[in-house]
Amino acid sequence: MTGFLNTSVTRPDAAGKVTGQRAYPGDLVRPGMLHLKVVFAERPHARIRAIDTAAAMAHPGVVAVLTAEDVPSNGFGLIVPDQPVLCGEVVRCVGDRVALVAAETPDAAEAAARLVVIDYEDLPVISDPHAALQTDAPLLHLGWGTNIISEFAIRKGDTARAFAEADVIVEDEFSTTWQEHAFLQPEAGIAYVDEHERVIIETAGQWLHEDRRQIATMLQLPEERIVVRYAAVGGAFGGREDLSLQHLLALAAWKLRRTVAMNWSREESMIGHPKRHPVTIRSRWAARRDGTITAVEAHAVADGGAYASTSQEVIKVIALFASGTYEVPNITSTIVAAYTNNLPTGAFRGFGAPQAQFAAEIMITKLAHALGIDPLDMRRRNIYREGGTEPTQVTLPPGVSALPVLERCIAEAHTRMGHEPPAAPYLRRGIGIAAGIKNLGYSFGYPEQATAAVELYGDASINRAVVRVGAAEVGQGTHTALRQIAAEVLQVPFERIEMICDDSSAAPNAGSASASRLTLIAGRAVHDAARAALQQWHEEERPACATVQYRPPATTPLDPVTTAGRPNYAYGYASQAVEVEVHLLTGQVQVLRAISVHDVGRVINPQQVTGQIEGGVVQALGYALLEQFQMRDGYVTTPHFSSYLLPTTMDVPEIIPIALEHAEPLGPFGARGFAELPLVPFAPAVAIAVYNAIGVWLTRLPMTPERVLEAIKKQHTA
Amino acid sequence: MRPGKFAYHRAETIDAALELLTNNEDAKVLAGGHSLIPALNLRLAQPEMLIDIGRLENLRGIQANGSLMIGALTTHAQIETSAAVQQYCRALSAAVSKVGDPMVRNRGTIGGNIAHADPASDPPTVLLACDSIIHLQGPDGTRTVPVQDFFLDLFTTDVQPNELVTGIEVPNMSDHKTAYAKLTHPASHYAVVGVCVAVKMDGDTCDHAHVAIGGALPKAMRSPGAEAALAGTTLDDAALNAAAEALMDEIRAEVMGDVYAPEAYRTAMAGVYLKRAIRQALAS
Ligand SMILES: Cc1cc2nc3c(=O)[nH]c(=O)nc-3n(C[C@H](O)[C@H](O)[C@H](O)COP(=O)(O)OP(=O)(O)OC[C@H]3O[C@@H](n4cnc5c(N)ncnc54)[C@H](O)[C@@H]3O)c2cc1C
Repeated sequence: MTGFLNTSVTRPDAAGKVTGQRAYPGDLVRPGMLHLKVVFAERPHARIRAIDTAAAMAHPGVVAVLTAEDVPSNGFGLIVPDQPVLCGEVVRCVGDRVALVAAETPDAAEAAARLVVIDYEDLPVISDPHAALQTDAPLLHLGWGTNIISEFAIRKGDTARAFAEADVIVEDEFSTTWQEHAFLQPEAGIAYVDEHERVIIETAGQWLHEDRRQIATMLQLPEERIVVRYAAVGGAFGGREDLSLQHLLALAAWKLRRTVAMNWSREESMIGHPKRHPVTIRSRWAARRDGTITAVEAHAVADGGAYASTSQEVIKVIALFASGTYEVPNITSTIVAAYTNNLPTGAFRGFGAPQAQFAAEIMITKLAHALGIDPLDMRRRNIYREGGTEPTQVTLPPGVSALPVLERCIAEAHTRMGHEPPAAPYLRRGIGIAAGIKNLGYSFGYPEQATAAVELYGDASINRAVVRVGAAEVGQGTHTALRQIAAEVLQVPFERIEMICDDSSAAPNAGSASASRLTLIAGRAVHDAARAALQQWHEEERPACATVQYRPPATTPLDPVTTAGRPNYAYGYASQAVEVEVHLLTGQVQVLRAISVHDVGRVINPQQVTGQIEGGVVQALGYALLEQFQMRDGYVTTPHFSSYLLPTTMDVPEIIPIALEHAEPLGPFGARGFAELPLVPFAPAVAIAVYNAIGVWLTRLPMTPERVLEAIKKQHTA
Repeated sequence: MRPGKFAYHRAETIDAALELLTNNEDAKVLAGGHSLIPALNLRLAQPEMLIDIGRLENLRGIQANGSLMIGALTTHAQIETSAAVQQYCRALSAAVSKVGDPMVRNRGTIGGNIAHADPASDPPTVLLACDSIIHLQGPDGTRTVPVQDFFLDLFTTDVQPNELVTGIEVPNMSDHKTAYAKLTHPASHYAVVGVCVAVKMDGDTCDHAHVAIGGALPKAMRSPGAEAALAGTTLDDAALNAAAEALMDEIRAEVMGDVYAPEAYRTAMAGVYLKRAIRQALAS
């Protein structure tokens, strides 16, 4: 019996999800529970003079109104606990939570929430990170002493000299905007205290054990007293990495000793979780006449919003990928993330790589144009190869497949694109090809591990295997993939393997569903634990049990002086080609077809590979052309899906997904992560295609019809 | 996203509906509900009473008798599929076929649409270009209002609190070439810009043209400048460009903008869609 890999086994969760049997967090709400309603700040920056809860308390059905005073330790955050659970003194963004109403019915909770009277004194609003960095800007976090959340720099070689000696230099400025995760299922969940005095939270998230850590810290309880369980998760994309309402549920359950429930509307969801960072990047690239890139300089500013979230880590990724997938001897890359009164920004599929490489891929194309070299040859000449050196002066981790991925993409584009002319004189077509790189797993010394336990039951043969691994199934299919990996190692039918993954007290910590890491590293932990258990089984242990913590090669922070260091232990590589049609009169850009080539190392489940590529391409298309989350003076001006545009079937092109299998040395059976990569080269590929169609560069995301038309007009008058 | 409390009455006759309207100051008429219910859910409207007129069958239907009489309760879908409308006024068929999506077209009514006077609606632009007449009924009887005087402002019409729209009269436009061109908002499907033209040709020459624009302004508007630029020409590129420029100049001061289509973009699109409408009319 072999062959559990490279097969599209039916996802065990599929039937329940399509028939409605499987419960999402919102489905856990039952009669008799207390219903919670958050009182949001709904103003970007203000001092709280007083909170009057008397009228709310007096409303029929209301059980409690919790405020800052009720929170044992009133700060949370993935890296820095700078975000109040409930604000007591100051609100810093419209999404801040100020009070939490608990009532016997949703109606009572909602009505009472409107009766909470908060006396605010408005404070000056900082809505732009550049303004936040001015020396006279008011401080948004007094105790922190600066509006800089974090700064980061990479220096390699001698950039000044390289620019002085360059044959050609190009310069440009890029800007990107917020992106909303827009997962199907808004935040929801329930919480209660069980007979062992443990606080049980049943909800959705991306990392059981990190949610548990933050909630334990907030309640000042040992971690064993907190149990986080995930119901079916309706999409995440990074938007569930931060706590949104999990801690509020826990707080209310702990304080009130009742089962509490909360079910957010889309409007609450929109302001209740962080967004992708808007970034401005000033870039300068230099090359020799023969097409060798000699220097890259990039200075970036990111809007971190009101709280730190993961800004500190996102900006490192942006700085690292300022030079894209290319080996460059001289690099100066700086970035700063600033506090503002906008919604916080944090994790979103790609984690900084899309912003950085939007700039990088356009820059290498412009450089090629300036030199009169084919932009694809320019990429071939400079792209990372095995043994190449990173911006941080270390050798790339083995398994560099950037060039074969690019070559395949070019070949596919050649046969599949550019063969029909547009149907009208006011339509123009163009093809764009771009490459991309993304780290797999945590970076720069952030502790990285995944733990899995495997138990084998039976007598002569294995009747049943249990795999415990705390890896979040957010819709991507990780439980299916991990189960296939276990089946392949154990050579036990898929159906005989039970997965325990959704309970922090029953499954060990496998880290987050993020950074394209679960197949690679949780998969490796499952693989190694299954092997160890099998070893014991062969030594006649019954049941045979093994727990393995897999730690990949260590990464390091950068040396503060030389900025040398080991940023990552593995990378994923992708190349994409798009063909677009630009309407010269309206500025509308239609993507006609998209080729997305990925090195996935080893295909575990072809259908899921296709699913990740297609979903990623659609999300990337939204990022490139449509999705324009906007804030003005700290207020959201796109609070609904009627104004925040998402791609629909009318926008989605023919997608050609291609998976290559160049083994990742660390991965289970050579598998590597790739799920963020469709987001990386896509936007610049569209920009390049638009340039090839109409001869104008779009350097702001998204490339809306208005901006495209504007660019066309400027070109006409120029 | 839930409405406040309200009383619900279903009217069985027009008179009963009018009586309820007269006796209840804070009552609203419910037709297809496709503008009113969203407004209730968003609490933009919080009437104490809804008077459902959905069963008033004599307000539903289309008669073609020299002109078109379209009952207020006639749905977009019924207008879209009516052979008489197709014959009398192609632009109206075209416009209602582009309203929202099939659900909206199956439930939404033309009377509700014009009474609501959403600036992003499609039918008002066509009615304006075609010099239509609105029929109203109140406790004191019936009256008619030319459509030019019907729309007063954003969401504001000449319908009095105790009146019903009973029908819309559209002249027979079959001796004109009419067309409606629309830039559709990708999410709401409302008009970002909608342009209706009705041109009367005399051989190769345009005897006169009616041009109306909606979506871009607080209410739909006729464009005297564009009409003048087209009359007497062969509708060649020069005439179309001149008309587009005139239209853009007229709306520039009043044009509305949003995240999707800021003012300048919307103005530019008015010109593009005017030309598109004329070309479609000529090809029809
Ligand atoms: C998703 C969506 C997309 C849409 N897209 C478009 C679009 O692209 N183009 C477009 O033009 N429209 C669009 N609409 C609006 C649609 O056309 C509505 O149907 C129409 O505007 C209202 O008609 P109704 O019968 O539903 O009226 P209702 O919602 O029932 O009523 C609307 C208003 O008119 C009043 N009213 C209704 N009937 C009468 C009457 N006979 N006399 C006096 N007052 C009356 C009501 O009191 C209320 O104030 C869209 C609506 C939705 C929900």
